[in-house]
Amino acid sequence: MYMQGVANRLGVVFFPAFDWAISPTHPERQERLLYTMDQLKEEGVFDIPGIEEYRPDEAGLEDVRRVHFSFPDTESHLTPSHLIAAGGAIKAAKLLREGDADKAFALVRPPGHHAMKAVHGGRGFCNVNIEAIMVEYLREHYGVGRVAIVDTDCHHGDGTQDVYWHDPETLYISLHQDGRTLFPGSGFSSELGGPKALGKTINIPLPPRTSDEGFLHAVDEVVLPILEDFRPEIVINSAGQDNHFSDPLTDMNFSAQGYAALNQRLNPDIAVLEGGYSIHGALPYVNTGIILAMAGLDYAYVREPDFDPESLRQDKRTREYIHQICSQARQSYFHPPDSGISRNMEDGYFVRSKEIFYDTDFITERQREHLLDCDHCSGLLLMESSSSRLKNCLGIEIPRGACQRCQSAGQMYFDKAQQNESLRNMQLIDRPGGAVRRFRRE
Amino acid sequence: MLLGIDVGGTHTDAVLLDRSGLLASAKVETRQDDLLQSIHAALGRIRDLAGEVEVQRFNLSTTLCTNAIVQDELKPVGVMVSAGPGIDPENFRIGDHYEVIRGGLDHRGEEIQALDLDQVEQCTKRFLDQGLRVFAAVGKFSPRNPEHEESMVRAISDRAAFLTAGHWISGQLNFPRRIATSYYNSAVWPIFNEFANSVESSLREHHISPQLNILKADGGTMPLSQARRLPVESIFSGPAASVMGLMALCDIEEDALMLDVGGTTTDVGVFAGGDPLVEAESVELVHRPTLVRAMKTESIGLGGDSAIALSEDLCRVGPRRLGASLACGGEQATLVDALNCISEETFGDRDASIRGMREIGSGLQCSVEEAALRVVRQSCRSLREKTMAMLERINERPVYTVHEFLESRRIEPGKLYIMGGPARLLAPYLSREFGLPVVVPDNAGVANALGAALARPTLQAELFADTHLHHMTVPVLGRQERVSRDYTLKQAKRDLSEDLCRFVRDNYHWSVDESEAEVVEESAMNMVRGVHTVGQDIRVKCQIKPGITPDYEGVVKCICKELPTG
Repeated sequence: MYMQGVANRLGVVFFPAFDWAISPTHPERQERLLYTMDQLKEEGVFDIPGIEEYRPDEAGLEDVRRVHFSFPDTESHLTPSHLIAAGGAIKAAKLLREGDADKAFALVRPPGHHAMKAVHGGRGFCNVNIEAIMVEYLREHYGVGRVAIVDTDCHHGDGTQDVYWHDPETLYISLHQDGRTLFPGSGFSSELGGPKALGKTINIPLPPRTSDEGFLHAVDEVVLPILEDFRPEIVINSAGQDNHFSDPLTDMNFSAQGYAALNQRLNPDIAVLEGGYSIHGALPYVNTGIILAMAGLDYAYVREPDFDPESLRQDKRTREYIHQICSQARQSYFHPPDSGISRNMEDGYFVRSKEIFYDTDFITERQREHLLDCDHCSGLLLMESSSSRLKNCLGIEIPRGACQRCQSAGQMYFDKAQQNESLRNMQLIDRPGGAVRRFRRE
Repeated sequence: MLLGIDVGGTHTDAVLLDRSGLLASAKVETRQDDLLQSIHAALGRIRDLAGEVEVQRFNLSTTLCTNAIVQDELKPVGVMVSAGPGIDPENFRIGDHYEVIRGGLDHRGEEIQALDLDQVEQCTKRFLDQGLRVFAAVGKFSPRNPEHEESMVRAISDRAAFLTAGHWISGQLNFPRRIATSYYNSAVWPIFNEFANSVESSLREHHISPQLNILKADGGTMPLSQARRLPVESIFSGPAASVMGLMALCDIEEDALMLDVGGTTTDVGVFAGGDPLVEAESVELVHRPTLVRAMKTESIGLGGDSAIALSEDLCRVGPRRLGASLACGGEQATLVDALNCISEETFGDRDASIRGMREIGSGLQCSVEEAALRVVRQSCRSLREKTMAMLERINERPVYTVHEFLESRRIEPGKLYIMGGPARLLAPYLSREFGLPVVVPDNAGVANALGAALARPTLQAELFADTHLHHMTVPVLGRQERVSRDYTLKQAKRDLSEDLCRFVRDNYHWSVDESEAEVVEESAMNMVRGVHTVGQDIRVKCQIKPGITPDYEGVVKCICKELPTG
């Protein structure tokens, strides 16, 4: 018999964008998924009954505007490849909801998890957040509510964390290399979500040289118990592959076997490729492993040519440290601490200020954010933003399920702000109304 | 003069042509247990009609290998595979003698683990002890580097009657398909080889000594010498013959569909800008996908003899065939019977058709005519839905570049070509259902044999170069050499076109101009290690596409008059 039957029908949306790069020798270049394609084709993966390859959709501008405040406008941060990558994630979600597949893997590029709520340019190779665009598409078109995103990229997914910071319906868990040792330098245990969504952001900053054992410990001891409690309708794996022992940008010891085992245990509905730049020695094997694991097939023989579990073994100190980080993370979800959470209030609004650096485009942005402390919904969000290139921008979001008061307050603010001569660029995301309003002063 | 014979499931058709047109045609029943006899009979008929003739070329399309595979009359093959890491190669086990040899290459063709030559030797001995004389040697990533396969070939070849190495089949990456295709190639060889010998000797008996070619699934021909090496390529040549027949009969220049309506099934073929679609990954044999390049055709389980089934107030047609139509003395009303009730032309025993449809009509509480109309329309709708689904799958094929994503051309058929027994009767209804003009070519009765007779050679090859490793290979043509860092895509394209044409000239006895070698895929990507560009990854795919023998173009063109729509 040719291949055992799959346990889950898997749709793979494969879009390697062989004609797109950030720059010729950038890690995010044409060649990135070339060897992955060769491996998948040679393995005959798409011939396995129950595994189907699909062409991505192209996301519309409205799909991006539903998620991001883009300044000066949405178009200026996008190339067709970004819309196709986001459309690939959307296609994966559609396959699931239309019943064409039980699980889906968007194997697309460029990635998205460093793109934050407000976008002034590219950060960490990301311009728009393809997972968030997918999740909000699911909510808009399929009425999906609770969603969990488990980010297994080696870099902290600060963009996804930022997009969902105030959303109690979206659980964001990130496993990554400790921010003190790697870009973007965030994702510490104390980052737990906004005042209305405390404990819905969980960070597990793992020490350098964490191996399969450490990652799987975090999944078993933290991620799975939290998911069981949160009961999401959909689990998404933000599947970065740069934890690999051969990755040129990071210092971790994860393997293809480990990635496959992680996906087997996590059992995500959708996986979306994020980073991963060991294009020769890791990606071909890791992607094969993830696909087999998601389909419920045997992956025991998927291993890198230079895989040596002995040399990748964690020492005792690393193991103990990981155990300690994990028990803390678990505690943070089940018993979020009251202290240490910034709750500056001004006129009934929670206030937060931050500074964001766009490493890809070399831009600095300053933000001041106001969240209405509303008893009836997650609260109206106002975001004032100025970057080193563009001053005086304003984003207003009336969130999903907003109460009547927040809805009219949002519209009123947007109308009033247009009278304010000093504000140059404005965007209102009105989720209950399903509309986006934009205003640009010439 | 050209001779073409198509040995089909029910009939064997033969045609004889010269540059003035069709000289003779014959149709005999196929004897499945003795295909050679069927060929004999057809040849005899042609001789009766045309007398002694000088045949320069004889193209034969035969179901021999397809039947052997489908009916499981295969000879045992000793299969050796070397795999390396990935999916467990046990999953691809095929036949009764399959052994995984230690050793492996990575996706660049670089050796991860040396091939275990001792194990190859022991395995060869064991296979020989088991009485095996036919082998297949397949390595993972052999199109990148055929070295492991060639080591196995060197070890076995002296002791083998026949042997297939994976990279001879295709330069395309797909290990499981390469294993299955190599296995089938070896497994049908004993049967094919004996058949080829018999055909040659029977031609000598008929005192003709033409150049003998075998029709392939992609609509092209290969000389018998090449067919003896790759007999598996002769499978599923039937649908390819009908597509080629249509090309011989009609000038197709646009996107179009071909519906060949048979007794049990309707074969659908697709043309893009006048060229038939050919695919390397379309053929499945006994649930095993293969790498045999074939015309992109799909078979829909609905034909002239499909039985009409009644349930509640609905009628369904097909996919079952319960025998001939009532008009031909069968026992069950079929699509042909329905057509017989509403067409001006009659066919067979029309009264029997009417009696049958009256029964259907009473079940549906309507008149004979209305029942017949409903059946015909339902059949046409079903054919359209399945055809459109096939077209959608073709148009939605994955693409890998932003350019292709944004620019890829959709196939949008502007015309429908209908062939097969009920074609003329069905045409107006299909035209209305598809909303397309319809052409029913004359001479469609022997289209398959015409297609076989007029087909010309085809060949495809892939070139892969890694200028970092200074390595270039064209697996199916057996070329491997060292190239410099400066080797370019342009050179690669020229090398491959030249190689392809040379190979056809030397092995196919066919003069081919380099302009006929068409580059169908090309890419050159910089390989960056660290922050430095270390070389280029160059890939070219080149083909000589299916077509009608140039000096015979137009000799059997029919009047392809469009029927008025609706």
